[in-house]
Amino acid sequence: MTLAKHIYQMLESVVGPEYISDREYILSAYRRPMPQIDKKPVSPQAVILPGCTEEVQAIVRICNRFHTKYIATVTSLMPMAFPSEPGTVILHMKRMNKILEINEEDRYTIIEPGVRHGQLKPELMKRGLSYPVASVGPGASVLANFTSTSGDHHVQHGTSRTNRYLLGLEWVLPTGEILKVGSLASDAGWFCPDGPGPSLRGLVKGWGGQWGSLGIFTKIAIGLDPWKGPKVMPAEGHSPSFKVRLPQDCHRMFIFKFPTLDKLRDAMIEIGKAEIGHAVLKFFNATAALLATESANDFWELWNSGLFQRELARPLYVYLATWSREEMAYEENVLKDIIEETGGEEVDESIRRIYKDNMDFFIVVGFLQRTLRLGGGWSPTKLSGDSISHMFEVGKAIPEFMGEFIEKGLILNAPDNWQIIPMEYGHLAHIELLFLFDRGLPNWGAIPLAFMKKSAETDIRHGYHASMPPNSQSLMEQLGPLYSNYHVWAMKIKEAFDPNMVSNPLP
Amino acid sequence: MDALENYVYTMVSCNHCGQCKWILGPKMRGWKYAEICPIHSRYHFDAYSGQGLINIAQELLEGELKYEDGLIEHIYTCTTCGACDINCKSIRDMEVLDTILALRARCVEDGQGPMPEHKECARLVEKDHNIYGRPHEQRFDWLSRDVQLSEEARVVYFAGCATSYLHPEIAHNTARILNAGGMEFKVMHAGEFCCGAPLWRTGQIEASEKVVRHNLETFRSQGIKTVITSCAECYGTFRGFYPRIAELDFEVLHITKVIQRMLKEGRLNLRKNLPMKVTYHDPCLLGRLSEPYIPWSGQIKAFGYHDPPKLWRRGTNGVYEAPREVLKAIPGVVLIEMTRNEENAFCCGAGGGVPMAFPDFALWTALERIDEARSTNAQAIVSCCPFCESNLEKAIGTGNSTIRYYDLTELVSNAL
Repeated sequence: MTLAKHIYQMLESVVGPEYISDREYILSAYRRPMPQIDKKPVSPQAVILPGCTEEVQAIVRICNRFHTKYIATVTSLMPMAFPSEPGTVILHMKRMNKILEINEEDRYTIIEPGVRHGQLKPELMKRGLSYPVASVGPGASVLANFTSTSGDHHVQHGTSRTNRYLLGLEWVLPTGEILKVGSLASDAGWFCPDGPGPSLRGLVKGWGGQWGSLGIFTKIAIGLDPWKGPKVMPAEGHSPSFKVRLPQDCHRMFIFKFPTLDKLRDAMIEIGKAEIGHAVLKFFNATAALLATESANDFWELWNSGLFQRELARPLYVYLATWSREEMAYEENVLKDIIEETGGEEVDESIRRIYKDNMDFFIVVGFLQRTLRLGGGWSPTKLSGDSISHMFEVGKAIPEFMGEFIEKGLILNAPDNWQIIPMEYGHLAHIELLFLFDRGLPNWGAIPLAFMKKSAETDIRHGYHASMPPNSQSLMEQLGPLYSNYHVWAMKIKEAFDPNMVSNPLP
Repeated sequence: MDALENYVYTMVSCNHCGQCKWILGPKMRGWKYAEICPIHSRYHFDAYSGQGLINIAQELLEGELKYEDGLIEHIYTCTTCGACDINCKSIRDMEVLDTILALRARCVEDGQGPMPEHKECARLVEKDHNIYGRPHEQRFDWLSRDVQLSEEARVVYFAGCATSYLHPEIAHNTARILNAGGMEFKVMHAGEFCCGAPLWRTGQIEASEKVVRHNLETFRSQGIKTVITSCAECYGTFRGFYPRIAELDFEVLHITKVIQRMLKEGRLNLRKNLPMKVTYHDPCLLGRLSEPYIPWSGQIKAFGYHDPPKLWRRGTNGVYEAPREVLKAIPGVVLIEMTRNEENAFCCGAGGGVPMAFPDFALWTALERIDEARSTNAQAIVSCCPFCESNLEKAIGTGNSTIRYYDLTELVSNAL
């Protein structure tokens, strides 16, 4: 389906001929199937590279005028980055890549969509500042992680989740109107997301980020935390075998194992109550093995040894980051007391060494995409947030449905491959279950949906708050009534914001 | 050479993580100098990237994409610097660069590629055995009487086309260094043909194989056991391409490794003070792409298991330390690193046949690199490749920059 010539010309007049294309070989890079999905994305009709908010607005107005659908993307890492329907143009936001301001005193930064973690994080580190980088790799968009596809990070325990740091926001609505949210709306600067007046933060993610989107964010401000580490990432060695070590007097990493999930849960809660620790989490074990190895073959050697299954079935990762040795001594003593009280013990030294040599696990997680090394068949599920206790209840129920898939050889035998990351010293926690499947299996494309369906059914049966709203009409209609008919309200909001239904509506 | 079909696993495994376009996490230093792919930096569309090119390869293979206007230019704009390849391999088991090179070879097989300028280059190599079409008999004009050769030596100095014809001072300095360090060596004289790099990297495999086989036969007939070169392109080609044609029975050394060894063994003394702040540019085929190619054929089984196990070229053991140690051994020289260095060096713009076919883009890329060099406040940029030299000097010449370019051999020779 080709974009009509007159529409192309109007869009071209906005950005210039260099920044728009409908050539098939250009479009080919925006429509390849993701390795975890057996369905090919819908091809865009054209790709446009806007350079500023005014150009975005002009493009969106043209799209409304001609009922041409549009979707904005930066990295296109997630499946929701692709058009839901034919007749869509992609706004690739790469050129809008400025860090507009870093306010060290009030601790916020203002950025455009094209700014990546690998750019912002080191700029802030130089200034003794930081923010929770979603575990997605250095090439991903910071703005996307704070708005549309907000992700979680390993250091949420002592800080919080990305979208909790969202401040002022500049938003090109689906109709092309520019909306400023928070203190920005009153010309009072970027520092506050909510006032005066109603906050729209709850709507920012829309139906599910870019699925059924509500326009395009062109600038955001995010709050910043202090950074207790060095100004420059202290990497040694060469790819892929980098070592990133932090000074041990103020940065220490521990991994404990527990005999039961209940004891692990108790330790996590107590550490939160004590308000110690920069990062606390129960991490995946198969993913940990993938991050620790440099090839699929190396992974299999490690995985087949059984070490990670034994030692990391019920692990608690704790990273203490302090300003002084005295503070470290205090936190370490408190930690040791808690671990002793809850029956934990340190894991094998070989595993602890891996993390001591790779503290990037808590900075930008540069090697996160090793998770996909086994051919790319992967999918996360659960992805919800609730109390720590509730998340552990959800975790305990995982074997009820996962075992069947493992026994049939449909997924990797990794029943403990799930994580819980608390945030704000245990106020809330996030759960994620990651399952890996082989793309060489017949009908492999059916595995992810079947698995996620079973996972959701288990949650419904137990009354658990664990499943993320799925991009599936039938599942949404199943889950919706359990969550105050959110799907009805989401659609009403969508209709109000996007009367022409051009902002990448759900099919 | 592997056919394009052999890279389907790479094509279907890509998940758009963007690592092929951006600096590795441990190397990140700030907003500027964070992009690693020249074509993506310049043209922005995802199709201009390692990811984009393997997507194009997949669609061509599947018949979804046809050869249309602009496609060949698009495929040949890439400098084949391999940054995408190495960065991808830091996290995945994929062969991005080999897929791109196989894509080019497929374009040539299909009669669609390469660019006319590259075809002309192949014609010149066929005729005159060098990429410039200059008389073959002038190839060793750089060889002056003060150079001591040893006809019994099993060590050969391979100068290469760019050194011989454009930068003969590199060859002369190299020879001077080898003599000073007591290394007995010979040269191939008329037996030295183009190493084949520009033909290989533009997909002209048949043409490149001819010169490869000629050079291999010349080495064999002369009983050569060690090949020394001062050109990164030649070095990376001997290590990365020649083993795809035949098994090598000689070792290949870059002059920086030879100097490093001579210094360690006390056979070379750098006495003269050369006070200057320099920054070092890692050539792609001396750095990240210089590990020896080891043929692999087998099966990729469930969950990515390679059977038999594959030895991956991930850029870990490129020649990074040797040039730096040599620079630090020169009295007065202070080395300041650029942000994008070692396996994450930003391309100079001279590779993949780009200067021949897209001189504007080659210059743009070089200007980016010179800008990065200037940001270190270094007085000079140093490297070990005549192709890098040509392109970087062109960039220096277009601006108001006072930064100078030196080949490492010149500094070492001046310090003797």
